[in-house]
Amino acid sequence: MDQIRLFIELTKKALQRQMTYRAAIAAGVLTNLFFGLLRAAVLQALYVGRSEVAGITLPAAITYTGISQATIGIFAAFSWFAIIRSVYSGEVSSDLLKPMDYFTFWLAQDWGRSIIELLLRSLPIMLAYAVVFGITVPHTAVQWLALAAALWLGWLVSFAWRFLLNLSAFWTPNAIGVARFGFVLSWFMSGFLMPLRFFPDWFVQICYLTPFPHTVNTVVEIYLGLLSGPEILMALGGQALWAAVLIAAGQLVLQLGIRKLVIQGG
Amino acid sequence: MPKPIITVKELQKHFKIQKHRRGLTGALRNLASFHTDLVRAVDGISFTIEPGELVGYLGPNGAGKSTTLKMLTGLLVPTGGEMWVNDRVPWKERRAHVAKIGAVFGQRTTLWWDLPVIESFDLIQHIYQIPKNQFKQNLDEFRDLLDLDRFINTPVRSLSLGQRMRADICAALLHNPPLLFLDEPTIGLDVVAKERIRQFIRFINHDRRTTVLLTTHDLSDVEKLCERVMIIDHGKLLYDGALADLAERFGGNRELVVEFSEMYTHPEVEGAEIIQCEGLLVTYGFERGSITASELIGRLSVKYRIHDLKVREPEIESTIRRIYEEKLLE
Amino acid sequence: MRYHLDLYIRLVGVQIRSQLQYRASFLMDSAATGIVTVLGFLTLALIFRRFNHISGWTLWEVAFLYGMVEAAFGTMDMFFSGFDPQNFGKQIRLGLFDQILLRPVNATVQVLASDFILRRLGRIIQGLIVLGLAFANQDVQWTLGKILYLPVIFVSLVMFFGGLFVIGATITFWTVESIEIINVFTYGGSEMMSYPMHIYQDWMRRFFTYVLPGIFIVYYPALFILGKPDPFHMPQFAYFLSPVAGFSVLLAASVFWQFGVRHYQSTGT
Repeated sequence: MDQIRLFIELTKKALQRQMTYRAAIAAGVLTNLFFGLLRAAVLQALYVGRSEVAGITLPAAITYTGISQATIGIFAAFSWFAIIRSVYSGEVSSDLLKPMDYFTFWLAQDWGRSIIELLLRSLPIMLAYAVVFGITVPHTAVQWLALAAALWLGWLVSFAWRFLLNLSAFWTPNAIGVARFGFVLSWFMSGFLMPLRFFPDWFVQICYLTPFPHTVNTVVEIYLGLLSGPEILMALGGQALWAAVLIAAGQLVLQLGIRKLVIQGG
Repeated sequence: MPKPIITVKELQKHFKIQKHRRGLTGALRNLASFHTDLVRAVDGISFTIEPGELVGYLGPNGAGKSTTLKMLTGLLVPTGGEMWVNDRVPWKERRAHVAKIGAVFGQRTTLWWDLPVIESFDLIQHIYQIPKNQFKQNLDEFRDLLDLDRFINTPVRSLSLGQRMRADICAALLHNPPLLFLDEPTIGLDVVAKERIRQFIRFINHDRRTTVLLTTHDLSDVEKLCERVMIIDHGKLLYDGALADLAERFGGNRELVVEFSEMYTHPEVEGAEIIQCEGLLVTYGFERGSITASELIGRLSVKYRIHDLKVREPEIESTIRRIYEEKLLE
Repeated sequence: MRYHLDLYIRLVGVQIRSQLQYRASFLMDSAATGIVTVLGFLTLALIFRRFNHISGWTLWEVAFLYGMVEAAFGTMDMFFSGFDPQNFGKQIRLGLFDQILLRPVNATVQVLASDFILRRLGRIIQGLIVLGLAFANQDVQWTLGKILYLPVIFVSLVMFFGGLFVIGATITFWTVESIEIINVFTYGGSEMMSYPMHIYQDWMRRFFTYVLPGIFIVYYPALFILGKPDPFHMPQFAYFLSPVAGFSVLLAASVFWQFGVRHYQSTGT
């Protein structure tokens, strides 16, 4: 089918584009390592006198800091404004005319980008961590499978959210500012700064009302083996559910945005 | 006799370059490797420019034009030779030097992107410490000549290219610099806009005696503005003299347009060939070296009855193009 | 001198005016930059409910460090954005630095005045609030000396981070693009200094003591003000090295910067 072929081509192109930034990526890994080191030191200091907190041992907590750094790239956790830029530059008009669904168009490109981030950034970070600290790794094949699923679903959730945020460009000239708010929120509630288990229960419950923990935190908990079998399924289900909700919302908002674009003429 | 406003003696600018590598690892590798090439961007140029001249500075891309310009404006330090502008060495006294020149670049603006034009001008008044009445006088005169009022309150980022150029050239002259550098001032403009800019350049050169050094790829700029041109290529000055002489020495075929008193079917003549025949008007082409115009006219008048005639020189554009392509000056 | 001061004020004033023009988006951006500070502190507070202290420091003692660093970094960012390596690298690439050299104004003043970001006020205010909370929630043995030392620490932080920005910007003269590693020192440095620095690995601490004297900027003054013991047994005057450390970083940075500008004039781009 043509659509599938287009999809694959776009993903490949995005992959190629990211490959050219190899040197920058190497420097990026060092940066991630440094921040990971900072966080690990903070955790070590917090853990003095304790061997385990909320079911997480110190080695697991340190591994956590590596995981959290490793997911930044995949989930584009700090910034992703590609659609906003295309709207402001006018490119969006030609993008909308392409023989491909607009959402899928961006999905494919982001998938390619995320794969490169996984290979060239996340894996080296975890390897560096293994060398510097020693890390824990998932024990069973089931856990590895679940991890792969969680990473993919987490990426999907993050993409759907970023897609929504970027659509604000159809309505305001200050979309980057709006989007930044969204990024800050997801930071805070995704379990990126600290494992969510460390926070008070009421806070965790609030977080789970949003899609954010279904990115980083779910990946962390599956990786560290903190979930039992059925709990894993529920977590993955949660990710899938939120992905579906956000994608649906994205479709709706997109239609509204396109209508606005057409009426106003950009 | 007044001193030249620009004196350049055996000016040199050599660059050691390596393959351009970006980023930190690239810079580190550059440091480590010793493999360099020497690029002689400017290789021993000498000239002087007197106050009040309007000189064209021409050359193909990569010839060394912008390097020369950067040294003249004080942006770049030469590798060898000497240079004085307004009695100063440009890079040694950057701020004093720059206060006495104006510069306009076709490719980018000197104004503040987000500010209305008039606010940029106000900032310029303070930067150059222009006395209030001089500023007002210049502004009033320029805004009238350049027709700036229509967009003087618009931010620079919203201006069309032509409008931006007019604003830039006004800005460059508000502080009454005796010397103005123009780098591709008409690039990308339509014919009407080009003519406007040229008119203004002529005005400030004739009426205000501002010395102008103009680099351009637009040869009609040269034709319409410059009496003197300098041609540079591969870092060397190949020609420095009157534009008219250039045509004279290198212009290829000249043309003689004759209006005869009666119809001739084949008004042949020795030493020239018929290019065009339209009723009574016949155009002859003849080579510069082989026969003079008066000789040709003489031969024609012996055989035919002439009502009127005109000598046409080849366009400077094609002359200069020939010089580049056929390397006539090397 | 007077000329440059006037010009600086004018150039910054123009930017402030144009940033305030879009009041709604200014307020929102300001809030957004502040929110990060607040959320960061809330995270800290929530974590401390479970852990109670970090290596002998309570939440409010850490809040002193955190608030100081946030407010000072925001201040630095507001003034020194012209030197922000991402920004400056772009200017070099676009040839805009030539524009600066063509004006009869000191180049450094122009770069400093080129990007004044008013919305950083959000971060500054939030940082000051956290700092205020830190003072309100603990018993500090205040003396006149300690109170007067506070603004000195603040200025030292601004000089320290400002110097790092300048160094990062100067590097772009050679690399043309800004390098991500600089973030390790600027943003990494600020995060690092928001916690008591004795928790960090030896090699890191030693680097930030002897190579880049970050440990003296706010950690040692905090030991003095909060009356906490020095785990490294440095001589007494270590508590007061803050302005010296901050100034020396800024000084080294400006020397490097002058060198960079001269190099730019020799080679262009």
